[in-house]
Amino acid sequence: MRSFSSDRSPLLSVALGVLTVVATTAVLVAARPALHETLVPLIYLLPVGLSAGLWGLTAGVVAAFTAFMAFNYFFIEPLFTFSVHRTSDLTVLLVFFAVAIVISQLMGLAQSGLSAARAREREATRLFELSTALAGVHSEGEAAEVVARLTHQEFAAEGVEVPLEGGESGPSLVGREPPGWAAQPRPPIAVADLRTARRSWGSIRIWRGSSPLSVAEDRLLRTFASQGALAIERANLAASERRAQVLEESDRLKSALLSSVSHELRTPLATIKASASSLRSGAVGWDSAARQDLLAAIDEEADHLNRLVGNLLDMSRIESGALRPDRKWNSLAEIVQGALNGVRRPVGQHRFDIRLPKDLPPIEVDYFLMEQVFTNLLSNCVKYAPAGSTVHVAAEVVNADDVEVEVWNEGPTVPAEHLARIFDKFYRVTDADRVTGTGLGLSICKGIVEAHGGRIWAQNRPDGFAFHVRLPVSASGAAPPTPPAETDLP
Amino acid sequence: MKEQPHILVIDDEPQILRALRTILRERDFRVSTASRGEEGLALAAAEEPDLIVLDLSLPDIDGIEVCARLREWTQIPILVLSVRGAERDKVAALDKGADDYLTKPFGIEELLARIRVGLRHASHARGRPPVIISSGPLVIDLSTRTVSRDGEAVRLTPTEYRLLAFLAGHAGRVLTHDTILANVWGDEYHGHTEYLRVYVRQLRRKLEPDPEDPQLIQTEPGIGYRFVTQDA
Repeated sequence: MRSFSSDRSPLLSVALGVLTVVATTAVLVAARPALHETLVPLIYLLPVGLSAGLWGLTAGVVAAFTAFMAFNYFFIEPLFTFSVHRTSDLTVLLVFFAVAIVISQLMGLAQSGLSAARAREREATRLFELSTALAGVHSEGEAAEVVARLTHQEFAAEGVEVPLEGGESGPSLVGREPPGWAAQPRPPIAVADLRTARRSWGSIRIWRGSSPLSVAEDRLLRTFASQGALAIERANLAASERRAQVLEESDRLKSALLSSVSHELRTPLATIKASASSLRSGAVGWDSAARQDLLAAIDEEADHLNRLVGNLLDMSRIESGALRPDRKWNSLAEIVQGALNGVRRPVGQHRFDIRLPKDLPPIEVDYFLMEQVFTNLLSNCVKYAPAGSTVHVAAEVVNADDVEVEVWNEGPTVPAEHLARIFDKFYRVTDADRVTGTGLGLSICKGIVEAHGGRIWAQNRPDGFAFHVRLPVSASGAAPPTPPAETDLP
Repeated sequence: MKEQPHILVIDDEPQILRALRTILRERDFRVSTASRGEEGLALAAAEEPDLIVLDLSLPDIDGIEVCARLREWTQIPILVLSVRGAERDKVAALDKGADDYLTKPFGIEELLARIRVGLRHASHARGRPPVIISSGPLVIDLSTRTVSRDGEAVRLTPTEYRLLAFLAGHAGRVLTHDTILANVWGDEYHGHTEYLRVYVRQLRRKLEPDPEDPQLIQTEPGIGYRFVTQDA
């Protein structure tokens, strides 16, 4: 233990003070014949001053009293008694005692002031070290580690434990030093609460031999605790702030979604409202072409609205992690057929060419989710393809375990820098005003395909633009059960 | 004059009820409406409608439960309405005995077509089940277990025959994969849709003029099959 001089045991200081006086007396007695008697009290002041200066006020006062007694006993007539006969001797004795007390007081005060200053300097150094170390921490656990390490160093402890109380941020953490230190069955010699104005964050627990903390150490420990608690609180607040930032990010995403959606919803609503109200007004002739146009607009825009709402529903299911594919053995031909039923086809504008090999194995996928994927891909292909062109679907088995489906149109190619990003939410290659949609369809496809352990990507073809979907045939690696062969009835 | 067919609509959305009531009355149907499941069940028992249009999301009891309870005592055709994202409920309702489904929003012509199919199928189903089922050029004689097309015998395997007889016996209805598997193969074949696909493919090859564009056994993608009778 690194100790301060003022912390030396008071008994020892007093003993040392007495010892110097005894030593001085021995020298004076030995040198008596050569000494002028007026020198004796002056020389006795030396051990008094020395004791007060080195060992403190108490040692000085005790030394002064001992010197007074020794001076009286050995050097004042009658010798070797404590009695005094001459008034002048009594005066010398009393003056000596007063001077000795005053000197020891002055020396003691100066000395204790010095050691207090040293102690404060030391404390300040430790605190500086602690706050420097704590300034760099990013988590409550890290702060606990730093507090444990510096406490261990400073208090020369066998082991230090800094258990944190689990706040709302999760399970409780413990900082330990040395790292593997296990809490002992015996109680710690000192415990300090890590407390701030808001709450208690945990405590510092010190194990060390049997010597208790000195007053100064105790004060230092408390300072450590309050600094440590502040650092832990800071780390905790920073973590809350990070969480808030994540929430804000997702909030921003939601508002982007909302603004995109409300724009997209209003357009078909406006069309429907305008068409329906003009039909009701009676201004449109019963058999006019205008009437047919308005009716078709209402019908088409209602379908459009329905698709938007469907996309939103899918997206929210994907985002919330509620997407759990119900995987069963399905036929790709059936999925593509179902998807085609859901694709809006302005009559006669596009042809579909579906080429699926007869021996394509069944795939273990969620039918309704996969149908959604192909509905979105086909709708996308139709949307950007020139009128009168053909949209193609082809599939093949690759690497024995995967099925790769290609959906492509004869439309314009997409610049290479957009290819990877078109599956991002709200990403558009073209101006939002020119093509309708939520910008969600392809990211829904990606979410669903990836939930099936598959991959989706886009590619330009010499004659158009293609989507590729690669899906594992089986989720479990097992083959689908197939029926045994039978012969015809007679 | 033929009596007007009576349709019971069970849906909790007042706007849908209003629209369907107006449209169906315009098309010469008698219409009753209920906005709750219990109310619908009571009306079905009291008025014995010819067909029930049932929305699957009801405030008091589940539409699937309504299907199951109706099927305890009646074979009235049930047409269920569902929304996107509730496909599994739709399949469950069909498993419980609903005849057909429509996904909201739907076109009114589509609804009327389904209602007509349901009513026709119901009038066939009344009385004793037929021994001979015919659809276009196809004749299935359940008493002799023989099938003929254009007067010529068609040779089927035992499973093909059982499958065809089950499908034709429920003509017009959407039959789910699991309903067919349980009735033709047995309960333990739940989920063995490949069995079903293999046999449907074989039947189509033997029965359909163009197996690639089936008219008789139609695929309901992701759900099951429907046997469509063609009136000669």
